[in-house]
Amino acid sequence: MSDDTDETHQRLKAAVHYTVGRLCQKIGEDHRREFSRQVIAAIAETTFRQCDVFAKDLEAFARHAKRSTVNAEDVKLVARRSTALSIYIQNKSEELTQEQRDLKKKGTGKRKSRDTEEDRRE
Amino acid sequence: MDIVYFFYLVYRRVRIKNSSSRNYKGFMNKMVLMDKVVSGDATLLMAEMLKIFVQEAAVRSQKQAEAEDCDQVDIEHFEKILPQLLLDF
Repeated sequence: MSDDTDETHQRLKAAVHYTVGRLCQKIGEDHRREFSRQVIAAIAETTFRQCDVFAKDLEAFARHAKRSTVNAEDVKLVARRSTALSIYIQNKSEELTQEQRDLKKKGTGKRKSRDTEEDRRE
Repeated sequence: MDIVYFFYLVYRRVRIKNSSSRNYKGFMNKMVLMDKVVSGDATLLMAEMLKIFVQEAAVRSQKQAEAEDCDQVDIEHFEKILPQLLLDF
């Protein structure tokens, strides 16, 4: 059983390392300064540990609200430390709810337009 | 530390969100995290936040290297910005 979790850990760390490497490469290209391998590994390790901290916080917040589902509200709480960050996360969350509403409208709207198209053909 | 399974799915969201955000609808809306369930919105927001974390770390390290007039971003530059980064998050 512990082998499975170890393997998952390894895969997760590799995934984080790969994504961090890509993001750092992009930023390095923008500013024409390369990141050494050590720095990429360090950022990946830090992100991995910080993710663990976030996940524990999210779980604690959801448990405090007597919910078994982690919400967007919990994520907004985790982002409360820096004002700019919390504003950014709030805007993103509003964007997401707006997208969901648009997708729902599109779902019903498509049916209507298909019906009118068929009527026109007939 | 089993909580970290969460990141695997977060990573998948980040990768696919970068390629095309119209795949949003095809995703499962919940994922199982031990006995907790994480909503789709929360996952996307967490992915965004982790992406910002990495970008902040990279940009701050790069600015530190620039201030010290170095060609490459080295581990010492990252070490110098790390405390403030952790306090900000």
